[in-house]
Amino acid sequence: MSLVARNALIALGITIVLAATVAYAVTYLNNARVAELTAIEDQLSIDTLSLDTQFSLLETAPCESATSSTILSSELSDLGDKLSYAENQLGKNNEQVVRLKKQYSLLEIRDYLITKRLAAACGTKPVTVLYFYSNAGDCADCDKAGYALSYLHTTYPALRVYSFDYTLNLGALKTLIAVTKVQNTLPAFVINDKHFYGFTSLADLEKQFPKGALSTTTPSR
Amino acid sequence: MSPELLAFPFLIIAIFFESFVLVTLLSSPARAARARSSNTPAISVAVIVPCYNEASTVAETCESLLALDYPKELLEIILVDDGSTDATPAAMLRLKDHPQVRIISKENGGKHTALNAGMASTNAEIIGCLDADSFVEPDALKEIIPCFADPKVAAVTAAMSVHQPKNFLQHMQNAEYIFGITLRHTLASINGLYVTPGPFSFYRHSTIKEIGDFRDGHQTEDMEMALRIQQAGYGIENAPRARVYTKAPLTLGVLVKQRTRWTSGFLRNVLGEYRGLIGNRWNDALGVLVLPTALLAVVSGILIFSSSLVTFTINTIQALQIRAGVPLTYIFSAPKPFDWFYLPTNFFMFLGATTLLVSLGLIVVGKRISKTPGNLTLGLISYTLLYSFIVPLWLIRATVDVTIGKHRHWR
Repeated sequence: MSLVARNALIALGITIVLAATVAYAVTYLNNARVAELTAIEDQLSIDTLSLDTQFSLLETAPCESATSSTILSSELSDLGDKLSYAENQLGKNNEQVVRLKKQYSLLEIRDYLITKRLAAACGTKPVTVLYFYSNAGDCADCDKAGYALSYLHTTYPALRVYSFDYTLNLGALKTLIAVTKVQNTLPAFVINDKHFYGFTSLADLEKQFPKGALSTTTPSR
Repeated sequence: MSPELLAFPFLIIAIFFESFVLVTLLSSPARAARARSSNTPAISVAVIVPCYNEASTVAETCESLLALDYPKELLEIILVDDGSTDATPAAMLRLKDHPQVRIISKENGGKHTALNAGMASTNAEIIGCLDADSFVEPDALKEIIPCFADPKVAAVTAAMSVHQPKNFLQHMQNAEYIFGITLRHTLASINGLYVTPGPFSFYRHSTIKEIGDFRDGHQTEDMEMALRIQQAGYGIENAPRARVYTKAPLTLGVLVKQRTRWTSGFLRNVLGEYRGLIGNRWNDALGVLVLPTALLAVVSGILIFSSSLVTFTINTIQALQIRAGVPLTYIFSAPKPFDWFYLPTNFFMFLGATTLLVSLGLIVVGKRISKTPGNLTLGLISYTLLYSFIVPLWLIRATVDVTIGKHRHWR
């Protein structure tokens, strides 16, 4: 065998080993990501239980707590971001992603309800946005709407934005849709109980908010 | 097809080629070449310096040749003025009294005619070429000459790097040239070279007489001669410690023009007169490995770049559409703190990173083998950030030129 042929064979072996190592590293990192998703799942379970407990406690003394607000904090927003990223990476039909979305949606609904109850009992005026989207390919403007809401939430942290996949098969979500009477015309928004459908621009969306709601000093939390 | 999927086979081939280079670098012929002593046999040498409008550098180039550590009576320097229109003749005249220097003036006919005029005027056994914008280390010739001990060796190449790189682009070229030192040293050990570059390549005079003078070679006379040497069954060696420094283009426009000439010359030579070398089994290193890989590199560079450009454009348009009135400041606002969760774990991206890392390693190896002085940090950074983005510019330009039959002027 010539030197060139021998070296080519060795190089082929190295190439296979390198490619296999890269494939292993990618699989390892993806597995670690899935493991983190499991941690998110646990976190969501704890947060849901915590919110339930908070809900019960506030029934007796709604406005005495130092936190006349709920836990839907930046931590949960971070969970939502990771969930969204995982959905993009693993696909919207991935079982774990669907399960996480359901848990996250439940948590959001609980937070929404407690926020409303606190507002009624304590006289606060939080600005809440229920945002219904679909990523089943039947909502051309949902990406734009989601991006605009991300911007609004980042710019005005006091806004309480709750995003729901309209097509998610979750009883509580279906009930919320029925109770709020949101039609299947997506994207759909319920801004402080006022319905708004479709998305054209950020400016048009901003017009739907109550006067003074889009202020960095909104004391709604 | 997505750029990633398109890149996959080419990345595998790139990793295979780099692995092959690494293995060959450690094989006995390359090790023997590195261990070669620099004793000087009594052999006459003429170095031809073809000049066309090189008034600013010819004197310095000639002085570096005069400083070569080689018996004076055996070394002749032939400056050939190829019909310069600037002060080159006057600059040459200042060197005419030196006993080792001979000056030839002729009408402009192209670099190959200047080289042929110089060769015709000497009986030296070994003929060297040095571009008039290049400078050599004093021991460079002593490194070159022992390579001719094997009678089958018809040409020997040197170890090129960039002369005093000044900007980011020149540092990038310096890293690329030093990468070339590793490649040239490795491939020479299996006779896989297809170019004998203008800066300080040497030829056995008797072989050149046998296979013929330099030709235009689609404006790449050094490549055409190397391919002709290979076709005739001779060998091309490399002296990895024969350091020569050449001036590199300072601007992107000049660089693209230079490389377009090189790439179109390669395509025209290899796909034209020397097509028979591709796939030939009597020189499997060149025919089965080096030339096909070089051709694939052109194809892959164009395909991956074009495909990535289309994808980038579509994504940008989509991103702008999604923006829908959101201020641009939000898009470019400070990103969130690093979270590994969002680290893209893409197979193709990891393969690309592996290819790049091995390339950087081979650059460092080239610097060590050749003992090239200077700091490589900026070179490695600029190579990483710039190289893959600008190479497609000349690959596309050259391929278009060859396809439509367009011929550009040298300068």
